[in-house]
Amino acid sequence: MRIIIDGVSCESAPGEFVKTVADRNNISIPSLCHHSALPGLAACRLCVVEVTPSGGKTQVVTSCVYPASDGLEVSTKSERILRLRKTILKLLISRAPKAEGRLKEYCEQYGVVDSFKPADFDESCILCGLCVKACDELGNSAIATVMRGIQKQVQTAFDEAPHECIGCASCAKVCPTGKIIWSQDDGSRTIWNKCFELVRCSCCGKPFATSEELTWLTNKSIDQNIDLSLCPTCRARKTAKAAISPVR
Amino acid sequence: MCGESTALMQSIEGLVGEPRAKYIRSVERGLWGQPTVLNNVETLANVPYIIANGSEPFAAIGTDTSKGTKVFSLVGKVKRSGLVEVPMGTTLRSLVYDIGGGIADKRPFKAVQTGGPSGGCLPESLLDLSVDFESLLEHDSMVGSGGMIVMDDRSCMVEVAHYYVDFLCGESCGKCTPCREGLRHMREILANICKGHGKLSDLQDLEDLAFTLQEASLCALGKTAANPVLSTLRYFRDEYEAHINDKYCPAGICQALSVMQIEQEDCTSCGLCYKACPIGALKQTVTEDTDGPTYHIDAETCTVCGSCREACRFDAVVAKRREKTCA
Repeated sequence: MRIIIDGVSCESAPGEFVKTVADRNNISIPSLCHHSALPGLAACRLCVVEVTPSGGKTQVVTSCVYPASDGLEVSTKSERILRLRKTILKLLISRAPKAEGRLKEYCEQYGVVDSFKPADFDESCILCGLCVKACDELGNSAIATVMRGIQKQVQTAFDEAPHECIGCASCAKVCPTGKIIWSQDDGSRTIWNKCFELVRCSCCGKPFATSEELTWLTNKSIDQNIDLSLCPTCRARKTAKAAISPVR
Repeated sequence: MCGESTALMQSIEGLVGEPRAKYIRSVERGLWGQPTVLNNVETLANVPYIIANGSEPFAAIGTDTSKGTKVFSLVGKVKRSGLVEVPMGTTLRSLVYDIGGGIADKRPFKAVQTGGPSGGCLPESLLDLSVDFESLLEHDSMVGSGGMIVMDDRSCMVEVAHYYVDFLCGESCGKCTPCREGLRHMREILANICKGHGKLSDLQDLEDLAFTLQEASLCALGKTAANPVLSTLRYFRDEYEAHINDKYCPAGICQALSVMQIEQEDCTSCGLCYKACPIGALKQTVTEDTDGPTYHIDAETCTVCGSCREACRFDAVVAKRREKTCA
Protein backbone atom coordinates (compact mmCIF):
# COMPACT_ATOMS: atom_id res chain seq x y z
CA MET A 1 0.00 0.00 0.00
CA ARG A 2 1.29 3.49 -0.83
CA ILE A 3 0.34 6.99 0.24
CA ILE A 4 1.60 10.28 -1.22
CA ILE A 5 3.01 12.80 1.25
CA ASP A 6 3.90 16.21 -0.25
CA GLY A 7 4.24 14.55 -3.65
CA VAL A 8 6.50 11.76 -2.36
CA SER A 9 5.15 8.22 -2.69
CA CYS A 10 5.65 6.35 0.61
CA GLU A 11 5.16 2.70 1.52
CA SER A 12 2.64 2.21 4.33
CA ALA A 13 0.89 -0.61 6.13
CA PRO A 14 -2.93 -0.40 6.22
CA GLY A 15 -4.08 1.48 9.32
CA GLU A 16 -0.64 2.89 10.06
CA PHE A 17 -0.86 6.50 11.19
CA VAL A 18 0.13 9.20 8.69
CA LYS A 19 2.67 10.78 11.06
CA THR A 20 4.43 7.44 11.57
CA VAL A 21 4.78 7.02 7.80
CA ALA A 22 5.98 10.61 7.41
CA ASP A 23 8.56 10.25 10.22
CA ARG A 24 9.93 7.08 8.62
CA ASN A 25 10.36 8.94 5.33
CA ASN A 26 12.07 11.93 6.97
CA ILE A 27 9.15 14.25 6.25
CA SER A 28 8.94 16.32 9.41
CA ILE A 29 5.53 17.10 10.92
CA PRO A 30 5.72 19.13 14.15
CA SER A 31 4.07 17.73 17.25
CA LEU A 32 4.25 18.31 20.99
CA CYS A 33 1.98 15.54 22.27
CA HIS A 34 3.44 12.67 20.29
CA HIS A 35 5.84 10.03 21.59
CA SER A 36 6.67 6.98 19.53
CA ALA A 37 6.22 4.69 22.55
CA LEU A 38 2.75 5.98 23.42
CA PRO A 39 -0.62 5.95 21.63
CA GLY A 40 -1.57 9.17 19.82
CA LEU A 41 -3.33 11.81 21.90
CA ALA A 42 -4.32 14.34 19.21
CA ALA A 43 -4.31 17.04 21.90
CA CYS A 44 -1.78 19.67 20.79
CA ARG A 45 -3.17 19.77 17.20
CA LEU A 46 0.18 20.91 15.84
CA CYS A 47 0.49 17.86 13.58
CA VAL A 48 -2.50 18.91 11.44
CA VAL A 49 -2.20 18.03 7.75
CA GLU A 50 -4.57 18.14 4.80
CA VAL A 51 -5.59 14.72 3.51
CA THR A 52 -7.50 13.65 0.42
CA PRO A 53 -8.51 9.98 0.42
CA SER A 54 -8.81 8.55 -3.11
CA GLY A 55 -12.22 9.66 -4.33
CA GLY A 56 -12.89 11.60 -1.13
CA LYS A 57 -13.02 15.18 0.08
CA THR A 58 -10.00 17.14 1.31
CA GLN A 59 -10.05 17.72 5.06
CA VAL A 60 -7.81 18.85 7.88
CA VAL A 61 -6.86 15.99 10.24
CA THR A 62 -4.30 15.30 12.95
CA SER A 63 -1.67 13.06 11.41
CA CYS A 64 -0.74 11.35 14.70
CA VAL A 65 -4.04 9.44 14.79
CA TYR A 66 -5.24 9.50 11.18
CA PRO A 67 -4.95 6.02 9.61
CA ALA A 68 -3.40 5.75 6.16
CA SER A 69 -5.44 4.28 3.31
CA ASP A 70 -4.28 3.27 -0.15
CA GLY A 71 -3.74 6.24 -2.46
CA LEU A 72 -4.20 8.82 0.34
CA GLU A 73 -2.75 12.19 -0.60
CA VAL A 74 -1.27 14.20 2.26
CA SER A 75 -0.17 17.81 2.23
CA THR A 76 1.87 18.84 5.26
CA LYS A 77 2.83 22.37 4.26
CA SER A 78 -0.17 23.97 2.54
CA GLU A 79 -1.00 27.60 3.24
CA ARG A 80 -4.04 26.55 5.28
CA ILE A 81 -1.94 24.22 7.43
CA LEU A 82 0.79 26.80 8.01
CA ARG A 83 -1.82 29.37 9.09
CA LEU A 84 -3.30 26.88 11.56
CA ARG A 85 0.08 25.84 12.98
CA LYS A 86 1.10 29.48 13.47
CA THR A 87 -2.06 30.28 15.42
CA ILE A 88 -1.71 27.11 17.52
CA LEU A 89 1.94 27.96 18.31
CA LYS A 90 0.90 31.51 19.18
CA LEU A 91 -1.74 30.11 21.56
CA LEU A 92 0.76 27.75 23.18
CA ILE A 93 3.50 30.34 23.62
CA SER A 94 0.94 32.76 25.11
CA ARG A 95 0.11 30.09 27.67
CA ALA A 96 3.66 29.03 28.36
CA PRO A 97 6.07 31.89 27.63
CA LYS A 98 8.72 30.20 29.76
CA ALA A 99 8.64 26.90 27.90
CA GLU A 100 11.95 25.66 26.64
CA GLY A 101 12.79 22.98 24.12
CA ARG A 102 10.69 22.00 21.11
CA LEU A 103 7.96 24.64 21.53
CA LYS A 104 10.51 27.42 21.33
CA GLU A 105 12.22 25.78 18.34
CA TYR A 106 8.93 25.45 16.47
CA CYS A 107 8.07 29.09 17.18
CA GLU A 108 11.37 30.14 15.63
CA GLN A 109 10.88 27.77 12.71
CA TYR A 110 7.38 29.10 11.96
CA GLY A 111 8.25 32.72 12.62
CA VAL A 112 5.91 33.14 15.59
CA VAL A 113 7.25 36.12 17.48
CA ASP A 114 4.32 37.73 19.26
CA SER A 115 1.75 36.23 21.57
CA PHE A 116 -1.85 37.00 22.42
CA LYS A 117 -2.11 39.64 25.11
CA PRO A 118 -2.38 39.70 28.01
CA ALA A 119 -0.52 36.52 28.87
CA ASP A 120 -2.13 35.92 32.24
CA PHE A 121 -0.66 32.44 32.39
CA ASP A 122 2.97 32.26 33.19
CA GLU A 123 3.94 28.68 33.28
CA SER A 124 5.51 26.02 31.14
CA CYS A 125 2.89 23.24 31.06
CA ILE A 126 1.11 23.15 27.70
CA LEU A 127 -1.24 20.31 28.78
CA CYS A 128 -0.07 17.97 26.02
CA GLY A 129 -1.04 15.05 28.26
CA LEU A 130 2.09 12.97 27.58
CA CYS A 131 3.04 12.67 31.26
CA VAL A 132 -0.41 11.40 32.22
CA LYS A 133 -0.44 8.99 29.29
CA ALA A 134 3.04 7.63 30.11
CA CYS A 135 2.06 7.04 33.75
CA ASP A 136 -1.21 5.38 32.68
CA GLU A 137 0.51 3.13 30.15
CA LEU A 138 2.97 1.98 32.81
CA GLY A 139 -0.04 1.05 34.89
CA ASN A 140 0.57 3.41 37.79
CA SER A 141 -1.80 6.32 37.12
CA ALA A 142 -0.21 8.45 39.81
CA ILE A 143 -1.03 11.68 37.98
CA ALA A 144 -4.07 12.86 36.06
CA THR A 145 -5.56 16.00 34.63
CA VAL A 146 -7.96 17.66 37.03
CA MET A 147 -10.63 20.32 36.36
CA ARG A 148 -11.58 21.23 32.82
CA GLY A 149 -11.17 23.92 30.20
CA ILE A 150 -8.72 26.64 31.09
CA GLN A 151 -8.60 25.50 34.71
CA LYS A 152 -7.27 22.13 33.65
CA GLN A 153 -3.96 21.06 35.15
CA VAL A 154 -1.86 17.97 35.74
CA GLN A 155 -1.94 16.95 39.39
CA THR A 156 -1.59 14.09 41.79
CA ALA A 157 -4.68 13.04 43.75
CA PHE A 158 -5.63 15.88 46.14
CA ASP A 159 -2.29 17.48 45.25
CA GLU A 160 -0.54 15.18 47.74
CA ALA A 161 2.48 12.92 47.34
CA PRO A 162 0.97 10.01 45.37
CA HIS A 163 1.35 6.55 46.86
CA GLU A 164 0.99 5.01 43.36
CA CYS A 165 4.13 6.82 42.15
CA ILE A 166 7.17 4.56 41.79
CA GLY A 167 9.55 7.44 41.16
CA CYS A 168 10.47 6.29 37.65
CA ALA A 169 10.32 9.89 36.34
CA SER A 170 8.91 8.72 33.00
CA CYS A 171 6.53 11.69 33.18
CA ALA A 172 9.44 14.10 33.36
CA LYS A 173 11.30 12.34 30.56
CA VAL A 174 8.44 12.61 28.05
CA CYS A 175 7.57 16.22 28.98
CA PRO A 176 8.29 18.43 25.93
CA THR A 177 8.66 21.66 27.92
CA GLY A 178 10.61 20.61 31.00
CA LYS A 179 7.74 21.44 33.35
CA ILE A 180 7.99 18.39 35.62
CA ILE A 181 10.78 19.05 38.06
CA TRP A 182 12.62 16.23 39.75
CA SER A 183 15.85 16.16 41.65
CA GLN A 184 18.31 13.48 42.52
CA ASP A 185 21.27 13.50 44.86
CA ASP A 186 23.59 10.71 45.90
CA GLY A 187 21.04 8.59 47.73
CA SER A 188 17.55 9.88 46.97
CA ARG A 189 15.23 11.12 44.23
CA THR A 190 12.38 13.59 44.71
CA ILE A 191 9.46 13.92 42.32
CA TRP A 192 5.80 14.99 42.85
CA ASN A 193 6.72 15.93 46.46
CA LYS A 194 7.62 12.32 47.18
CA CYS A 195 11.10 11.30 48.26
CA PHE A 196 12.50 7.92 47.18
CA GLU A 197 15.54 6.07 48.56
CA LEU A 198 17.76 4.98 45.70
CA VAL A 199 19.09 1.42 45.41
CA ARG A 200 22.81 1.07 44.75
CA CYS A 201 24.24 -1.12 42.01
CA SER A 202 25.67 -4.33 43.49
CA CYS A 203 28.67 -4.02 41.19
CA CYS A 204 29.73 -0.36 40.87
CA GLY A 205 27.89 0.98 43.91
CA LYS A 206 26.25 3.84 42.04
CA PRO A 207 22.60 4.66 42.98
CA PHE A 208 20.47 3.88 39.92
CA ALA A 209 16.80 3.19 40.68
CA THR A 210 14.16 3.45 43.36
CA SER A 211 13.24 0.22 45.13
CA GLU A 212 9.61 0.83 44.03
CA GLU A 213 10.78 0.82 40.41
CA LEU A 214 12.58 -2.50 40.92
CA THR A 215 9.54 -4.05 42.63
CA TRP A 216 7.41 -2.85 39.71
CA LEU A 217 9.83 -4.45 37.24
CA THR A 218 9.89 -7.71 39.22
CA ASN A 219 6.08 -7.83 39.25
CA LYS A 220 5.99 -7.19 35.52
CA SER A 221 8.35 -10.22 35.14
CA ILE A 222 9.32 -9.11 31.65
CA ASP A 223 12.50 -11.18 31.59
CA GLN A 224 13.50 -13.32 34.56
CA ASN A 225 17.13 -13.32 33.42
CA ILE A 226 17.56 -9.58 33.98
CA ASP A 227 19.71 -8.99 37.04
CA LEU A 228 17.90 -6.14 38.76
CA SER A 229 20.63 -5.62 41.29
CA LEU A 230 22.84 -4.12 38.58
CA CYS A 231 22.62 -0.64 37.12
CA PRO A 232 21.96 -0.41 33.35
CA THR A 233 25.65 0.20 32.61
CA CYS A 234 26.88 -2.77 34.63
CA ARG A 235 24.06 -4.90 33.26
CA ALA A 236 25.08 -4.07 29.71
CA ARG A 237 28.70 -4.82 30.55
CA LYS A 238 27.72 -8.19 32.03
CA THR A 239 25.60 -9.08 28.99
CA ALA A 240 28.39 -8.05 26.65
CA LYS A 241 30.91 -10.14 28.59
CA ALA A 242 28.63 -13.16 28.47
CA ALA A 243 28.16 -12.67 24.76
CA ILE A 244 31.85 -12.52 23.91
CA SER A 245 33.21 -15.08 26.43
CA PRO A 246 32.34 -18.21 24.40
CA VAL A 247 34.31 -16.78 21.49
CA ARG A 248 37.39 -16.48 23.66
CA MET B 1 -18.92 18.42 27.48
CA CYS B 2 -20.08 14.82 27.74
CA GLY B 3 -22.86 15.38 25.20
CA GLU B 4 -20.09 14.78 22.68
CA SER B 5 -20.39 11.11 21.71
CA THR B 6 -16.79 9.98 22.25
CA ALA B 7 -16.51 11.96 25.51
CA LEU B 8 -19.74 10.31 26.64
CA MET B 9 -18.24 6.89 25.90
CA GLN B 10 -15.08 7.80 27.83
CA SER B 11 -17.30 8.80 30.76
CA ILE B 12 -19.23 5.53 30.63
CA GLU B 13 -15.89 3.69 30.64
CA GLY B 14 -15.00 5.50 33.86
CA LEU B 15 -12.34 7.69 32.24
CA VAL B 16 -12.01 11.48 32.15
CA GLY B 17 -14.77 12.90 29.91
CA GLU B 18 -12.61 13.97 26.99
CA PRO B 19 -13.34 13.28 23.33
CA ARG B 20 -11.14 11.11 21.17
CA ALA B 21 -10.41 11.39 17.46
CA LYS B 22 -13.26 10.03 15.36
CA TYR B 23 -11.35 8.79 12.33
CA ILE B 24 -12.47 5.30 13.31
CA ARG B 25 -16.27 5.48 13.62
CA SER B 26 -17.93 4.26 16.80
CA VAL B 27 -20.01 1.76 14.78
CA GLU B 28 -16.66 0.05 14.14
CA ARG B 29 -14.95 0.66 17.46
CA GLY B 30 -16.78 2.53 20.19
CA LEU B 31 -17.59 1.78 23.80
CA TRP B 32 -14.96 -0.57 25.30
CA GLY B 33 -13.58 -0.98 21.79
CA GLN B 34 -16.78 -2.63 20.57
CA PRO B 35 -19.09 -1.57 17.71
CA THR B 36 -21.49 0.94 19.25
CA VAL B 37 -24.66 2.69 18.13
CA LEU B 38 -25.06 5.99 19.89
CA ASN B 39 -27.93 8.28 18.94
CA ASN B 40 -29.49 11.43 20.23
CA VAL B 41 -32.81 10.99 22.04
CA GLU B 42 -34.56 13.16 19.46
CA THR B 43 -33.33 10.88 16.64
CA LEU B 44 -34.75 7.87 18.45
CA ALA B 45 -38.02 9.74 19.08
CA ASN B 46 -38.50 9.89 15.30
CA VAL B 47 -38.24 6.11 14.95
CA PRO B 48 -41.73 5.10 16.24
CA TYR B 49 -43.40 7.34 13.63
CA ILE B 50 -41.36 5.74 10.86
CA ILE B 51 -42.12 2.22 12.10
CA ALA B 52 -45.84 3.00 12.43
CA ASN B 53 -46.29 4.91 9.16
CA GLY B 54 -43.41 3.82 6.97
CA SER B 55 -40.45 5.83 5.72
CA GLU B 56 -42.24 7.50 2.81
CA PRO B 57 -44.68 9.66 4.81
CA PHE B 58 -41.74 10.73 7.02
CA ALA B 59 -39.49 11.54 4.06
CA ALA B 60 -42.34 13.50 2.44
CA ILE B 61 -42.02 16.07 5.25
CA GLY B 62 -39.16 18.56 5.04
CA THR B 63 -36.69 19.46 2.28
CA ASP B 64 -34.80 17.29 -0.21
CA THR B 65 -31.83 16.87 2.08
CA SER B 66 -33.32 17.50 5.54
CA LYS B 67 -36.25 15.18 6.12
CA GLY B 68 -38.90 15.09 8.80
CA THR B 69 -39.68 17.54 11.54
CA LYS B 70 -37.59 19.29 14.15
CA VAL B 71 -38.40 20.50 17.63
CA PHE B 72 -37.17 24.01 18.40
CA SER B 73 -37.10 25.81 21.69
CA LEU B 74 -38.45 29.18 20.58
CA VAL B 75 -37.58 31.70 23.26
CA GLY B 76 -36.39 35.26 23.77
CA LYS B 77 -38.26 38.40 22.75
CA VAL B 78 -41.23 36.71 21.09
CA LYS B 79 -44.83 37.04 22.20
CA ARG B 80 -45.36 33.27 22.47
CA SER B 81 -42.42 31.17 23.54
CA GLY B 82 -42.13 27.43 24.03
CA LEU B 83 -41.24 24.16 22.36
CA VAL B 84 -42.46 23.99 18.77
CA GLU B 85 -42.28 21.17 16.25
CA VAL B 86 -42.10 22.26 12.62
CA PRO B 87 -41.31 20.57 9.30
CA MET B 88 -37.71 21.02 8.19
CA GLY B 89 -37.56 23.86 5.68
CA THR B 90 -39.91 26.19 7.56
CA THR B 91 -38.66 29.77 7.27
CA LEU B 92 -37.28 31.72 10.20
CA ARG B 93 -39.95 34.35 9.53
CA SER B 94 -42.72 31.80 9.92
CA LEU B 95 -41.20 30.57 13.19
CA VAL B 96 -40.74 34.03 14.66
CA TYR B 97 -43.90 35.77 13.37
CA ASP B 98 -46.53 33.08 12.66
CA ILE B 99 -45.72 30.73 15.51
CA GLY B 100 -44.00 33.07 17.95
CA GLY B 101 -46.47 35.89 17.28
CA GLY B 102 -43.74 38.42 16.46
CA ILE B 103 -41.52 40.49 18.69
CA ALA B 104 -42.78 41.31 22.16
CA ASP B 105 -43.39 44.91 23.28
CA LYS B 106 -43.57 46.15 19.65
CA ARG B 107 -39.79 46.29 19.42
CA PRO B 108 -38.05 45.76 16.07
CA PHE B 109 -36.49 42.37 15.28
CA LYS B 110 -32.71 42.29 15.38
CA ALA B 111 -31.41 38.72 15.25
CA VAL B 112 -32.27 35.11 15.90
CA GLN B 113 -29.69 32.81 17.41
CA THR B 114 -30.19 29.23 16.28
CA GLY B 115 -28.64 25.95 17.36
CA GLY B 116 -27.82 26.45 21.03
CA PRO B 117 -24.77 28.18 22.51
CA SER B 118 -22.49 27.31 19.60
CA GLY B 119 -24.95 28.39 16.93
CA GLY B 120 -24.87 31.66 15.04
CA CYS B 121 -26.89 34.88 15.08
CA LEU B 122 -28.84 35.51 11.88
CA PRO B 123 -30.00 39.03 10.90
CA GLU B 124 -33.32 40.33 9.58
CA SER B 125 -32.18 39.98 5.96
CA LEU B 126 -32.09 36.20 6.44
CA LEU B 127 -35.57 35.86 7.92
CA ASP B 128 -36.76 34.07 4.79
CA LEU B 129 -34.01 31.46 5.15
CA SER B 130 -35.27 27.89 5.18
CA VAL B 131 -34.47 26.20 8.49
CA ASP B 132 -32.64 23.03 7.49
CA PHE B 133 -29.21 21.53 8.12
CA GLU B 134 -27.56 22.84 4.95
CA SER B 135 -28.93 26.41 4.82
CA LEU B 136 -28.05 27.16 8.43
CA LEU B 137 -24.51 25.76 8.05
CA GLU B 138 -23.96 27.93 4.97
CA HIS B 139 -24.72 31.01 7.05
CA ASP B 140 -22.34 30.31 9.98
CA SER B 141 -25.06 28.80 12.13
CA MET B 142 -26.53 25.35 12.65
CA VAL B 143 -29.62 23.35 13.61
CA GLY B 144 -27.61 22.00 16.55
CA SER B 145 -29.62 21.39 19.68
CA GLY B 146 -32.65 23.24 18.32
CA GLY B 147 -32.37 26.42 20.33
CA MET B 148 -33.92 29.50 18.78
CA ILE B 149 -33.41 32.71 20.70
CA VAL B 150 -35.06 35.79 19.27
CA MET B 151 -33.46 39.16 20.00
CA ASP B 152 -34.77 42.70 19.61
CA ASP B 153 -32.91 45.97 19.09
CA ARG B 154 -31.93 46.03 22.76
CA SER B 155 -29.43 43.20 22.32
CA CYS B 156 -25.78 44.09 21.77
CA MET B 157 -24.32 41.54 19.36
CA VAL B 158 -20.78 41.92 20.71
CA GLU B 159 -22.07 41.26 24.21
CA VAL B 160 -24.08 38.30 22.90
CA ALA B 161 -20.94 36.83 21.30
CA HIS B 162 -19.05 37.39 24.56
CA TYR B 163 -21.84 35.72 26.54
CA TYR B 164 -21.75 32.55 24.44
CA VAL B 165 -17.97 32.36 24.25
CA ASP B 166 -17.83 32.74 28.04
CA PHE B 167 -20.36 29.91 28.39
CA LEU B 168 -18.36 27.70 26.01
CA CYS B 169 -15.14 28.44 27.93
CA GLY B 170 -16.77 26.73 30.89
CA GLU B 171 -17.93 23.81 28.75
CA SER B 172 -14.59 23.15 27.03
CA CYS B 173 -12.91 20.01 28.41
CA GLY B 174 -9.48 21.54 27.86
CA LYS B 175 -7.93 18.62 26.00
CA CYS B 176 -7.06 20.32 22.71
CA THR B 177 -5.18 23.59 22.29
CA PRO B 178 -7.49 25.54 19.93
CA CYS B 179 -10.59 25.10 22.09
CA ARG B 180 -8.95 25.53 25.50
CA GLU B 181 -6.64 28.43 24.67
CA GLY B 182 -8.50 29.88 21.67
CA LEU B 183 -11.78 30.38 23.53
CA ARG B 184 -9.95 32.01 26.42
CA HIS B 185 -8.35 34.60 24.16
CA MET B 186 -11.59 35.15 22.23
CA ARG B 187 -13.36 35.84 25.52
CA GLU B 188 -10.61 38.25 26.54
CA ILE B 189 -10.75 40.15 23.23
CA LEU B 190 -14.57 40.35 23.26
CA ALA B 191 -14.62 41.55 26.88
CA ASN B 192 -12.12 44.25 25.98
CA ILE B 193 -14.24 45.42 23.04
CA CYS B 194 -17.29 45.60 25.33
CA LYS B 195 -15.30 47.75 27.75
CA GLY B 196 -14.28 50.11 24.97
CA HIS B 197 -10.66 48.98 24.91
CA GLY B 198 -10.88 47.22 21.55
CA LYS B 199 -8.61 47.77 18.55
CA LEU B 200 -9.45 47.16 14.90
CA SER B 201 -6.68 44.56 14.78
CA ASP B 202 -8.70 42.57 17.36
CA LEU B 203 -11.17 41.70 14.60
CA GLN B 204 -8.37 40.05 12.61
CA ASP B 205 -7.27 38.14 15.72
CA LEU B 206 -10.86 37.00 16.28
CA GLU B 207 -11.06 35.76 12.69
CA ASP B 208 -7.73 33.91 12.99
CA LEU B 209 -8.82 32.27 16.24
CA ALA B 210 -12.23 31.37 14.81
CA PHE B 211 -10.59 29.77 11.76
CA THR B 212 -8.26 27.74 13.97
CA LEU B 213 -11.11 26.59 16.21
CA GLN B 214 -13.21 25.51 13.23
CA GLU B 215 -10.45 23.68 11.41
CA ALA B 216 -8.20 22.30 14.11
CA SER B 217 -10.33 21.51 17.16
CA LEU B 218 -10.67 17.91 18.23
CA CYS B 219 -14.43 17.65 18.61
CA ALA B 220 -17.66 19.31 17.54
CA LEU B 221 -17.76 21.60 20.59
CA GLY B 222 -14.57 23.36 19.52
CA LYS B 223 -15.35 23.20 15.81
CA THR B 224 -18.65 25.01 16.29
CA ALA B 225 -17.64 27.27 19.19
CA ALA B 226 -16.55 29.98 16.77
CA ASN B 227 -20.05 30.34 15.26
CA PRO B 228 -21.31 33.06 17.65
CA VAL B 229 -18.24 35.15 16.81
CA LEU B 230 -18.12 34.40 13.07
CA SER B 231 -21.81 35.07 12.52
CA THR B 232 -21.86 38.32 14.48
CA LEU B 233 -18.68 39.47 12.70
CA ARG B 234 -20.31 38.62 9.38
CA TYR B 235 -23.73 40.21 9.91
CA PHE B 236 -23.16 42.80 12.65
CA ARG B 237 -19.64 44.03 11.94
CA ASP B 238 -20.85 47.64 12.22
CA GLU B 239 -21.60 47.04 15.91
CA TYR B 240 -18.06 45.81 16.54
CA GLU B 241 -16.73 48.86 14.72
CA ALA B 242 -18.98 51.21 16.71
CA HIS B 243 -17.60 49.71 19.95
CA ILE B 244 -14.02 50.02 18.74
CA ASN B 245 -13.96 53.29 16.77
CA ASP B 246 -16.68 55.34 18.44
CA LYS B 247 -16.63 53.74 21.92
CA TYR B 248 -20.37 53.44 21.49
CA CYS B 249 -22.71 50.51 22.14
CA PRO B 250 -25.68 51.05 19.77
CA ALA B 251 -27.95 48.80 21.84
CA GLY B 252 -27.07 50.52 25.10
CA ILE B 253 -26.09 47.30 26.83
CA CYS B 254 -22.36 47.52 27.43
CA GLN B 255 -21.99 49.15 30.82
CA ALA B 256 -18.68 50.88 30.21
CA LEU B 257 -19.92 52.59 27.05
CA SER B 258 -23.53 53.44 27.87
CA VAL B 259 -25.54 55.53 30.21
CA MET B 260 -29.32 55.61 30.73
CA GLN B 261 -31.17 58.92 30.47
CA ILE B 262 -34.76 60.06 30.83
CA GLU B 263 -36.10 62.21 28.00
CA GLN B 264 -38.16 64.67 30.04
CA GLU B 265 -40.54 65.60 27.17
CA ASP B 266 -41.61 61.94 26.79
CA CYS B 267 -41.82 61.26 30.52
CA THR B 268 -45.29 61.12 32.08
CA SER B 269 -43.97 60.94 35.66
CA CYS B 270 -45.66 57.56 36.13
CA GLY B 271 -42.77 56.38 38.31
CA LEU B 272 -42.49 52.84 36.90
CA CYS B 273 -38.77 53.31 36.23
CA TYR B 274 -38.27 54.53 39.78
CA LYS B 275 -39.89 51.35 41.13
CA ALA B 276 -37.99 49.11 38.72
CA CYS B 277 -34.48 50.33 39.54
CA PRO B 278 -32.85 47.69 41.76
CA ILE B 279 -30.03 49.89 43.08
CA GLY B 280 -31.60 53.28 43.69
CA ALA B 281 -29.94 55.05 40.77
CA LEU B 282 -33.22 56.78 39.90
CA LYS B 283 -33.71 60.04 41.71
CA GLN B 284 -37.11 61.60 42.29
CA THR B 285 -37.53 65.34 42.56
CA VAL B 286 -40.81 66.89 43.69
CA THR B 287 -41.26 70.54 42.84
CA GLU B 288 -44.20 72.95 43.15
CA ASP B 289 -44.30 74.03 39.50
CA THR B 290 -44.62 70.58 37.82
CA ASP B 291 -47.65 68.28 37.77
CA GLY B 292 -45.88 65.22 39.08
CA PRO B 293 -42.41 64.42 40.34
CA THR B 294 -39.52 64.52 37.86
CA TYR B 295 -37.06 61.67 37.55
CA HIS B 296 -33.46 61.49 36.55
CA ILE B 297 -30.83 58.77 36.57
CA ASP B 298 -27.59 59.13 38.47
CA ALA B 299 -25.01 57.96 35.92
CA GLU B 300 -22.42 57.17 38.59
CA THR B 301 -24.71 54.73 40.43
CA CYS B 302 -26.41 53.29 37.31
CA THR B 303 -25.15 49.85 36.21
CA VAL B 304 -27.01 50.03 32.87
CA CYS B 305 -29.02 46.92 33.80
CA GLY B 306 -31.85 48.19 31.63
CA SER B 307 -34.65 47.59 34.17
CA CYS B 308 -35.92 51.17 33.89
CA ARG B 309 -35.89 51.03 30.09
CA GLU B 310 -37.80 47.74 30.17
CA ALA B 311 -40.33 49.18 32.61
CA CYS B 312 -41.03 52.41 30.72
CA ARG B 313 -44.22 52.32 28.62
CA PHE B 314 -43.46 55.60 26.82
CA ASP B 315 -39.91 55.01 25.51
CA ALA B 316 -38.78 57.89 27.68
CA VAL B 317 -35.74 55.99 29.01
CA VAL B 318 -33.03 55.93 26.37
CA ALA B 319 -29.45 54.69 26.30
CA LYS B 320 -26.82 57.25 25.44
CA ARG B 321 -23.09 57.08 24.90
CA ARG B 322 -21.14 57.32 28.14
CA GLU B 323 -18.86 60.22 27.50
CA LYS B 324 -15.97 59.11 29.67
CA THR B 325 -15.29 55.38 29.41
CA CYS B 326 -14.73 53.54 32.64
CA ALA B 327 -11.34 52.07 33.30
